[in-house]
Amino acid sequence: MKHADILIVDDERRYADMLARRLRLRGLTCKVCYDGQTAIDIIALEKFPMVILDLRLPDLYGTEVLTRIKAHRPETAVIILTGHGTEKDQEQCMARGAHSFMNKPLDIDLLMTIMDLIKETSA
Amino acid sequence: MMKLLNRIPALIWPRFHQKRDEHLNPYYTFQDYGQTWGMTIFILMSTALLPLIVMTLIYYQLIETSINTESLLRTERLASNARRAVTFFLEERLAALTFTANEMGYDRLSDSDRLTEVLQNLKLGFGGLTDLSVIADTGTQVTYAGPFNLEGKDYSNQPWFMECQQHNACVSEVFSGYRGVPHVVVAVKSMRPDGRFYVLRATLETERLIQALSSFKTGEHADIFLVNRDGLLQTPSQFYGGDDHHVNLTLPAYSDRTKAVMSTDRSGQPVAIGYAFIDTEIAPTAFILMVVKQKAGMMKVWLDLRSRINWLFAISAIIIIIVIILTSTVLVNKIFQADRQKAETMAMAERNSQLASIGQLAAGVAHEINNPLALINETAGYVKDLFMIKQQYKEDTELVEHIDTILDAVERCGTITRQLLGFARHFDVQTQPINLEDMVADVINFHKKEAEYRNITIHVDIPETIPLIETDRGKLQQIVLNLVNNAFQAISNGCFLDIQAAMDGPEHVRLSIRDNGCGISEAHLNKIFEPFFTTKKEGQGTGLGLSITYGLVQKLHGNIRVESKAEEGTTFVVTLPVQLKKEIQS
Repeated sequence: MKHADILIVDDERRYADMLARRLRLRGLTCKVCYDGQTAIDIIALEKFPMVILDLRLPDLYGTEVLTRIKAHRPETAVIILTGHGTEKDQEQCMARGAHSFMNKPLDIDLLMTIMDLIKETSA
Repeated sequence: MMKLLNRIPALIWPRFHQKRDEHLNPYYTFQDYGQTWGMTIFILMSTALLPLIVMTLIYYQLIETSINTESLLRTERLASNARRAVTFFLEERLAALTFTANEMGYDRLSDSDRLTEVLQNLKLGFGGLTDLSVIADTGTQVTYAGPFNLEGKDYSNQPWFMECQQHNACVSEVFSGYRGVPHVVVAVKSMRPDGRFYVLRATLETERLIQALSSFKTGEHADIFLVNRDGLLQTPSQFYGGDDHHVNLTLPAYSDRTKAVMSTDRSGQPVAIGYAFIDTEIAPTAFILMVVKQKAGMMKVWLDLRSRINWLFAISAIIIIIVIILTSTVLVNKIFQADRQKAETMAMAERNSQLASIGQLAAGVAHEINNPLALINETAGYVKDLFMIKQQYKEDTELVEHIDTILDAVERCGTITRQLLGFARHFDVQTQPINLEDMVADVINFHKKEAEYRNITIHVDIPETIPLIETDRGKLQQIVLNLVNNAFQAISNGCFLDIQAAMDGPEHVRLSIRDNGCGISEAHLNKIFEPFFTTKKEGQGTGLGLSITYGLVQKLHGNIRVESKAEEGTTFVVTLPVQLKKEIQS
């Protein structure tokens, strides 16, 4: 079975689904989950080249999820997508191995560019 | 010296009279400093000057009373002495006549030669006698010794003769009589062996009496004379002789003692009058002795004293007034300055807390709005994706434009929420040494092209004495950039921008950014740091630039203030601690 390209982790279901739809329209395969623990569990089973991760999750804080993902699968590129990211958050995330840090509302073209970049480097 | 002179008006005319900042009015303790100043001066003056005035008036009164008393006493003493002299003068001569009449007897005295001899002896012994005569009980002159030949004259109708008959002795008023020369007659009655009486009479020269009186006269303003009980002058008066030889003063009431009273003369001048009704032991007389002293003469000492008191009073009053005005001005100025400082602090504290709560509110709103905003973004984006990628409505450009409008609006909202969150959030601050001059030069570089193009002169004056500042580079850069941006938007082509730095005490540095652009009206000046306050057209500015700058300056433990006049330009002054860490610790 072919693995999905992207795991989207965001507690706002409609938002996560909508983003997944937009990415699918662009030819990407997406999986969606709505909390941190599920995300960690999925990552343990499956391998994703990219993860789009929100920082505010109902169970775990995004940085914690990021640490776990990077610990288990260091090759996965994690893109942080948050609504209220501060400079401090950004610094922390980058230090823990995030690939990039983006704010909501999202510029989809910028996200696509970043993803192309990730694909190129991993190829 | 000139500097000091220039400062005097400011000392007397207090600073609080100058127009003060209207926005501080609600915070002043006293609303009317002019009134406070006036009241202080009034109260101090009343308490200081009133006792001085009362004391001076009491002193006046006391001195005047004591001078009156003193002059009355002196006048009385003078009158008393003069009375004794006049009484003695008359008594002495009456006694001599009595002695002569008793010793010689009628027979010997009626001998003309003997009488002449007696006159010679009396003249030698006492003097002041003109003639001597013996008058029989019929009033006919029997014998006469003297310069006039008056033998055989009848005196029976003369008042002095009648009085002598009654009282055994008499002293006449001054009169001219048969001889036509003013004189006084003294006479004594004596008995002849046959039981009839005779009178021994002597004429006294008034000259002697006048001399005796004038020897008591002291000072220019004193007068001393005799009058009879009708006010007719008996001896000449220097000042008070009126027409027909009557004295032009009110005659005092009878008293057997010497007295002195305060009175006024005919011209209304105050005078002290000493008087005595003269009576001898042997015979009563019609004489009243009067001593008149003009008060003005005695007042000279008092007038000198009064002018000295007046000077003393005036000088003390002037000194007191000056000291009071200066003290009040300095004190009220001090209070005013302290009050003003307090008002400024309170106004600033209120503005700060207002800004902080606005910031919190704004951040909360931004926070809540961001999620639905993101959802709108993705949904609209998805619809657009459907159109574009699925090719379904690709040709319908109008629909795509509508979607783009939604996406644009979302993007703008996103920018605003990000800025709002930035305004309220407490970011970590990382300090590093910064050369202010280099930093400003970096910022100016951003605008170099625009300045050249718009012909704007940028003048930077940052002295080398400004030390390296330990603060957050990114935030300071943002502050300077925002303020310079702001200035560039305010000025028109051909204006100037002036950036200056100076030390503000040893621990703070002050950066001023001044432009001569359109300025900020007074009504707007208090609001410019509030989020969303903008004078730009809708859509051209978010109104967050200066509130973010304000937030950044607060984070760097500095403060920012603005001075501006509409149409003249604006100056932003940012004061920052040289060492941020030290400031945070303290």
